[in-house]
Amino acid sequence: MTTDPSPMLPRRDLLALAAMTGAALAGLPAFTASAAPQRPVDSPSTKASSPLELWWQAPADDNSMIEQGLPVGNGRLGALASNDPGHEVLLVTDATMWTGGLNDTLDSDGQFPYGRTDFGSFTLLGRLTVDIPDHDLGAVSGYRRTLDLAQGVVTTSYVRSGVTYRRKIFASRPDDVIVLHFTQSGGGRYTGTVTLEGTHGEGAGVSFGAAFPNGLKYGAAVTAYGTGGRVTVSGTRIDFSGCKDLTVVVSGGTDYAPDAAKGYRDPSLDPHGLARTKVRDAAAHSADTLLNTHVGDYREVFGAFGLSLGTSTAEQRSLDTWERIQARARDEVPDPELEAAYVQFGRYLMISGSRGSLPLGLQGLWLDGNDPDWMGDYHTDINIQMNYWMADRAGLSSCFDAFTDYCVAQVPSWTDVTRRLFNDPRNRYRNSSGKNAGWTIGISTNPYGGGGWWWHPAGNAWLCNTLWEHYEYTRSHTHLEKIYPLLKGACEFWEARLLTTTLPGTSREVLIADSDWSPEQGPLDAKGITYAQELVWALFGNYCVAAAELKKDGGYAETIAGLRKRLYLPQVSPKSGWLEEWMSPDNLGETTHRHLSPLVGLFPGDRIRPDGSTPADLVAGATALLTARGMESFGWANAWRSLCWARLKNADKAYQLIVTNLRPSTDGSNGTAPNLFDIYEVSQGRGIFQIDANFGTPAAVSEMLLYSRPGHLELLPALPDAWSAAGSLTGAPARGGFVVDLRWRDGRPTEAHIRSVGGRTTTVAYGGTSRTVTLRPGGSVTLKDLAR
Amino acid sequence: MRSSSYSVMPLRALRAAVVLALAAGAVTVTPAAHAGTTAPALAAKPYMGWSSWSMQSSKYPGLNLDGDYSYLTEANVAKQTDALAAKLKKYGYEYVNIDAGWWMDKTWKTGYDQYGRQKADPVRFPSGMKAVADRIHSKGLKAGIYLPAGLEKGAYGDGKTPIWNADGCTTADIVYSDLRTTNGWDSAYKIDFSRPCAQKYIDSQAQLIAGWGYDFLKLDGVGPGSGKSGDQYDNVADVAAWNKAIAATGRPIHLELSWSLDIGHAADWQKYSQGWRIDTDVECYCNTLVSWENSVDDRWDDTPGWTKYAGPGGWNDLDSLDVGNGEMDGLTKAERQSYATLWAIAKSPLFTGDDLTRLDSYGLSLLTNKEVIAVDQGATPPARPITPSDPQQVWAAKNPDGSYTVALFNLADKPAAVSANWAALGFTGKAAVRDLWNHENLGSFKDKVTEALPAHGSRLFTVTPHGSALAFTGYEAESSANTLAGNASVADCSACSGGKKVGNLYLGGKLTFNDVVVPKAGTYQVKIAYVSGDARSAAVSANGGGAVSHKYPSTGDWGTVETVSVPLTLKAGSNTITFDSGNSYAPDIDRIDVPKSY
Repeated sequence: MTTDPSPMLPRRDLLALAAMTGAALAGLPAFTASAAPQRPVDSPSTKASSPLELWWQAPADDNSMIEQGLPVGNGRLGALASNDPGHEVLLVTDATMWTGGLNDTLDSDGQFPYGRTDFGSFTLLGRLTVDIPDHDLGAVSGYRRTLDLAQGVVTTSYVRSGVTYRRKIFASRPDDVIVLHFTQSGGGRYTGTVTLEGTHGEGAGVSFGAAFPNGLKYGAAVTAYGTGGRVTVSGTRIDFSGCKDLTVVVSGGTDYAPDAAKGYRDPSLDPHGLARTKVRDAAAHSADTLLNTHVGDYREVFGAFGLSLGTSTAEQRSLDTWERIQARARDEVPDPELEAAYVQFGRYLMISGSRGSLPLGLQGLWLDGNDPDWMGDYHTDINIQMNYWMADRAGLSSCFDAFTDYCVAQVPSWTDVTRRLFNDPRNRYRNSSGKNAGWTIGISTNPYGGGGWWWHPAGNAWLCNTLWEHYEYTRSHTHLEKIYPLLKGACEFWEARLLTTTLPGTSREVLIADSDWSPEQGPLDAKGITYAQELVWALFGNYCVAAAELKKDGGYAETIAGLRKRLYLPQVSPKSGWLEEWMSPDNLGETTHRHLSPLVGLFPGDRIRPDGSTPADLVAGATALLTARGMESFGWANAWRSLCWARLKNADKAYQLIVTNLRPSTDGSNGTAPNLFDIYEVSQGRGIFQIDANFGTPAAVSEMLLYSRPGHLELLPALPDAWSAAGSLTGAPARGGFVVDLRWRDGRPTEAHIRSVGGRTTTVAYGGTSRTVTLRPGGSVTLKDLAR
Repeated sequence: MRSSSYSVMPLRALRAAVVLALAAGAVTVTPAAHAGTTAPALAAKPYMGWSSWSMQSSKYPGLNLDGDYSYLTEANVAKQTDALAAKLKKYGYEYVNIDAGWWMDKTWKTGYDQYGRQKADPVRFPSGMKAVADRIHSKGLKAGIYLPAGLEKGAYGDGKTPIWNADGCTTADIVYSDLRTTNGWDSAYKIDFSRPCAQKYIDSQAQLIAGWGYDFLKLDGVGPGSGKSGDQYDNVADVAAWNKAIAATGRPIHLELSWSLDIGHAADWQKYSQGWRIDTDVECYCNTLVSWENSVDDRWDDTPGWTKYAGPGGWNDLDSLDVGNGEMDGLTKAERQSYATLWAIAKSPLFTGDDLTRLDSYGLSLLTNKEVIAVDQGATPPARPITPSDPQQVWAAKNPDGSYTVALFNLADKPAAVSANWAALGFTGKAAVRDLWNHENLGSFKDKVTEALPAHGSRLFTVTPHGSALAFTGYEAESSANTLAGNASVADCSACSGGKKVGNLYLGGKLTFNDVVVPKAGTYQVKIAYVSGDARSAAVSANGGGAVSHKYPSTGDWGTVETVSVPLTLKAGSNTITFDSGNSYAPDIDRIDVPKSY
């Protein structure tokens, strides 16, 4: 990429860049032929440990899928399942099932169109139903369904006329299919129908293929097989009768390709045919083989991280998951196993929704219709970042890759669109310098290189800082190589954009961000907003480290380091005592606004640290601002507040916000739905699913137990009383390139095992004590006397 | 019916308000009617049959081809009679009830005989009303007919119309001189029963329908009720006159009153009639016969206040049971089962308004389930809620044989698990559960039974305890050990234990029981004895924890105590339990009873 801030790069160069970037991808985030699955020799353990088994005593129905449907997914292909005995419904999704396109014609205000055809929307792939008329919910007893987080399997069981029926549903990554396996004990038989339908007017069929107006081709297929009865294709559906057991296999996908040069399509891919091949190949195996293959694959990822927050009571354990959520709020008594299970549920969602395809958007991989709020898109002013804060903090570093691969695949288009359109005279956020370089994005992004809603100049920095943090956790050189061009392009953008100004009453010249909007509130054209200053300051710092570690672009890094020194750094308002959100002593927005944009330097950033290494007045100003923002918001806003309070080592407040997110959502109120999806009440009585809190809340739990920045770890920085009796955190990555196993009792660490995954030296602190640990990569040390 | 007698009504506008006893004044409570005495001649059990109104009132395609309410014809009644005889008679269904319109032409224009009495419309009923009754009787069934309260305006005839068999009496002699109107539609002149001719007119109507051979009369638009109140709409004297007139005919004619009768006059309805509609029309006046929201679902809230008035000789009428054809009914399978479950456990008359020639197999199974019909028809009391009226609720009745009839309901719009706790029934240990709808013994259950219910779903069980009675510790609300806040105060209450209760729990009023002792920590089903003339909510919490708001079903008046059980998590030793009215009005609290174990 050129460092020349010329306004326009020839388009063919950009395409060449895109081709190059695409070739650098480690994986192929697309619906492709599967490698031969690794089949385990032995059956993985099928014994669930109960704290990791969520359970319910009622199913979902067609109208309650988003609150009661149970999610499954193989990282790309997902579904919400109703688990209704007589009427199993799976709303099937593929992460790439998107309408819309590059969206490179601006509206009259210089901003991006934001509709379902221009920008596009994440939509359903299909709907699978298995109807068993004799098993009407009103006629069965002893209904129970479970989600085994340790194995990634949904199980439903019930009794009909003395026969126990059981079904398992799982989404296999090795076989790239979703499997429904119906069994019984007691001489029962299954009779009914399997129907696969498109949701975009394709009709029903054992397979279908079609294309959107944007050219995206997609397809899906189903097959079924059983024993002891008949399974026949009957027109557009599959009939089964008298079956002792039944296996239904469904798959599907699109011809999406993460390649700007090819217009994000793989013309060689026939999704319809591939779906048929996948279900046929899988159906060559028994359901048990498919299950064991899936569980083996899943456990390898899931098992890398462990969390115990203490022991729940027998009474709490006797309740189903929804009763427990209600009891937690009603009784106001901590339920440590439930709270730990909520973290593990977030991990389950990430493993199910972020492997080998597009990353998790506002609803992750799960939809109950074709018109999700805000398109189910990628929101870059908190939401996608929050989704991925959890990945490393909860031992799912491999799940982060979908986010990296997305950014890498999009940046050629983002660059193209930025160069062509950002300085459009109608765009109020254009660079008043007239210069234009690098890339930035819209507040919303789609998978076709397109932006939606408004320009988001500082969004590039936040994406880069998130990508950088993953490098800090993993010290992966491959990752650093992948993201380096993005960091550099973002620096080029800011090099062209920053304005020089003289601070009032001084002769000091500083660099400030051009006109911008502190996310979603306050003046629309404010220069030097805290959000941008903090993010760019961190970006420039990260870039300089990256260039040094890769031994690249030394001269440019010096330029950036020089700019960084001149950046204006936000201050505390002499009027309010708060860290300023705008370059103004006045509060120009809502006091309790959901976004904590001016606090990005506290979390996820490192500029504001309550450990004596940053000025006390800055910490006090950040604390005062956070306090003013309040404790009563919704999902992601509470999670972010919790993370900030964890950074400030205020365990009570951090915990209280987690508990607030665990409140039961009823009639659409903010809180946790029966299926543990986080619900955001957008208007009275209307709650929608937004997945970010399902990841942000677990991230907060992790941050309360382990703080890290390169060279410094702190154990139990914000351990609440509720979890203090005894607990453990195992397999938790730490910034600086370590993995930590931590045990505690009576509020104090009893043992910390630190393993290097590339890190060499770090301090390890607890309370007022600190020691330095030096390791070679791969080496480890166990510390036992930290509490003294 | 609730339609205007003379014109097609705007449907929504005429939706009757639920009659609530709002005043906290003393109301004389009549003990459950006729209980324990010899079976009455009429309505010893809730009646069963068919009524024409649901199909008449529907816009379902093909039903009312000649205009609104035109379904009611001799031919259609005959068709339904035959279907009732063939399919349902053997299960106990026996009444064929002709509803409004038999004396009206297809434009809803009325016709009367020379004595101002309703006269069969010759197009609808060319053979006349006697022939219809005869035909019904020929099938071994009973015939029902319909009249509105008061002297219909069209029958007045300038006041000169003579009254049958009443020398010198004309219509002018039976009404008020100011021709004040009455009934739910103001379609009639109010009859002045202080005038000697008035009873004669009712006698003449009774003689007419008795002469035709009718066995049942639905008197409609009766007030207080039918959306009306005040002296002008007080038709108690009309009902009394009908009672007297029917007796004088010598024919046992069942008198059923409609609609939304005022619960404050329950004793009058009990005295003079065999049944009373407790609520507005169940029909939706839409493209189906009924709909869940308009207004099947109202019955769960509106029935409990009336429960104590039901018994042999007089029953709470929940209106037509339209569950026989899902498509026509406009209900899901789950809704139809819940509908039939509530009607059966409330011991409502079971009369369907469906097209009996088009029952679907599921509908037929609902209408002909002998175990469920036995709940309605057997010598068992009606059930009432044993939990608050929350979206998931449980109703129960203790049967003479020691078993319980238990119904689980999920009135929410999505599936939910619902549990019946044995502690709320007053016993502990194991119990056998029989599923009445599915004719299946589900086995033995310890402490509770939990089932998954679909949206608007239900289960109906007979629960036979094999455990022991649960011991409770009682705490009186009026105890000086409690803390009252806001306006809360102790009040006299003759029906309450200790003769006192805590009332004035409104707008911040609070009652805290301070020293509730249990031996070990756990969730207890705490019985709340309360008084509430209408359904009210209160938030309850233990030990200052998260408060949960529950709706307490109406006790029917402010002199009756009922109990429901609420789960509360208590710690070993001493606890506080608080009832908080919040920013609303809460029931009066008599006492709480806390199980000694859970």
